[in-house]
Amino acid sequence: MAIRLSSLISALPGCLAQGIVWGIMALGLFITYRVLEFSDLTVDGSFATGGAVTVMMILGGKPVWLAVAAAMLAGILCGLVTGLLHTKLGIAPILAGILTQIGLYSINLHILGNKANQAVSVDKYRLLLSLRHPGTAILVSGLFAAALIGFFYWFFGTEMGSAIRATGCNPNMSKAQGIDINRTIVVALAISNGVVALSGGLMAQYQGFADVSMGRGAIVIGLAAIIIGEVISRAFTRESMNFALRLLFVIVGGIAYYLIMGVALWLRLPTNDLKLFTALIVAAALAIPNLRSRSFGPGKKNGGKGAADHG
Amino acid sequence: MKKAFTVILCLVMLFSAVACGSSGKDAHSKDTFVVGICQLVQHEALDAATQGFKDALTAKLGDKVTFIEQNASGDSATCSTICNQFVSEGVDLIMANATPALQAAAAATGDIPILGTSVTDYPTALDISEADWTGHTGINISGTSDLAPLAEQADMFPELLPDVHNIGILYCSAEANSVYQADVVEEALKALGYSVKRFTFADSNDIASVTASACAESDALYVPTDNAVAAYPETVRNVAVPAGIPIICGEENIAAGCGIAALTISYYDLGMATGEMAAEILAGADVSTMDIRKAPVTKKYNAEICAELGVTVPDGYVAIG
Repeated sequence: MAIRLSSLISALPGCLAQGIVWGIMALGLFITYRVLEFSDLTVDGSFATGGAVTVMMILGGKPVWLAVAAAMLAGILCGLVTGLLHTKLGIAPILAGILTQIGLYSINLHILGNKANQAVSVDKYRLLLSLRHPGTAILVSGLFAAALIGFFYWFFGTEMGSAIRATGCNPNMSKAQGIDINRTIVVALAISNGVVALSGGLMAQYQGFADVSMGRGAIVIGLAAIIIGEVISRAFTRESMNFALRLLFVIVGGIAYYLIMGVALWLRLPTNDLKLFTALIVAAALAIPNLRSRSFGPGKKNGGKGAADHG
Repeated sequence: MKKAFTVILCLVMLFSAVACGSSGKDAHSKDTFVVGICQLVQHEALDAATQGFKDALTAKLGDKVTFIEQNASGDSATCSTICNQFVSEGVDLIMANATPALQAAAAATGDIPILGTSVTDYPTALDISEADWTGHTGINISGTSDLAPLAEQADMFPELLPDVHNIGILYCSAEANSVYQADVVEEALKALGYSVKRFTFADSNDIASVTASACAESDALYVPTDNAVAAYPETVRNVAVPAGIPIICGEENIAAGCGIAALTISYYDLGMATGEMAAEILAGADVSTMDIRKAPVTKKYNAEICAELGVTVPDGYVAIG
């Protein structure tokens, strides 16, 4: 059967919806990775926690909005654990996240009723979004994304939000200014994982099941979305960018990631090469700013540093 | 550079617009079929099932069937991306290999027929309550189950060992799976009139001593699919064979190490059975009323140990290895 462009185009709504859902996950990650400058590996666990809580609540007959709210709350708790492991017990950020992630594997199994996988059928329950209806899925996930961007735009202008940003920029200076940086770290981690779990809850509904390993590799997709988004944003605008726009481009990055995946599947590459292809495309996206600035020659001073300096 | 980017973007958009206009419906003529295969992860058993599916369907339909084979490489979320792609390709049938693949396919379409394989329990996988379960789904889904046939394993005792009365079940008490299998098999054995006693060890250090006491008190033993025994079949063999006690096992590899026989399912055959269902569906059968089919089972025996213990193997058994 021939590879038809029309089939790629009709696959776009699904890719778009899944991209926005993962973009929301990346928004959560953005709070820790870019604003707080804290490499938080909790997310692989808290994403699945969000999915598990949502599915079990829906199966238990609770309304969907309550299920999603509970997922967010569970995610906040996950973030709190990582935060406390780091601030109270002095465990290094990456290790604190890894520890929470490992522990969450067992906890997620318990949430799922000691099963690895629980189905939630779109035929039986009123779900917010489903792969069956990509149009609605785009709308719903888009609304969630917009609401979160709005919330973050407001929140990071408040005293607490500014304190978190300051902690990320320069913890020592923040401490000198009287900011309780332990508190800001814990709050940021909690919010971040709450959003990640929310995204997990949306993803579980979208795909029709929660799986104990559904968060595997979430951090990679999230980071790819953030950085691809930054690359794309630089193609459109100059240096300083509005905070809300930066958040918007995180979502755009998530969409781009899944469009890449859609193209990879559409091209019918040898099945075992899907991950390699995805990695190559993401690597190419990350290399573009570097190569681009080099092609301008030595005139541009900040060229070679590439993506890393755009905190 | 920025200009170049803009130009490329415009070209892509233009290309898309043209494609949209020209594509329309190019439905396949009735005698060619496209089948999408979504497999969860690269794994020996799942690979065998996919191969069996393709072989069976190709044998029936030859060139008339084309496969689009995709593998989520272990990321369950990628199953959704793949199934979304299949639906937009307008495939005639989706074969979903493993539970998350089946669930993603179920979420992706309510119209295109879906066949699952390597799925153990369909009501659980599809969130259909046991009370409503009738053997088929009533929706666009059917398939094959890899549930191990436990009760049938008990039937092997009268076939192979007509003279035994006391059967011991040997397994590791720490394995929930083994406990479950022991429960089912014990019930089946008791129904056949055997007296059954269980012998359990807590870890691999006790295997030899527990096996010795099991051999002393039983005429024959049953070992379920138990990871501890699977890791040390030699230990069991070195006690049981000198004692002259035959063992029937839940799994082929354990039987190869210490047993006389086992009932096994082959994932290749499971895939073949799924492929035959696919051929029926593509010929017009209604997927929603097709019962879930079980794995075809093969009775296998360990020629060496059977000879050593003087066990006569009836017809219908295949030698291991």
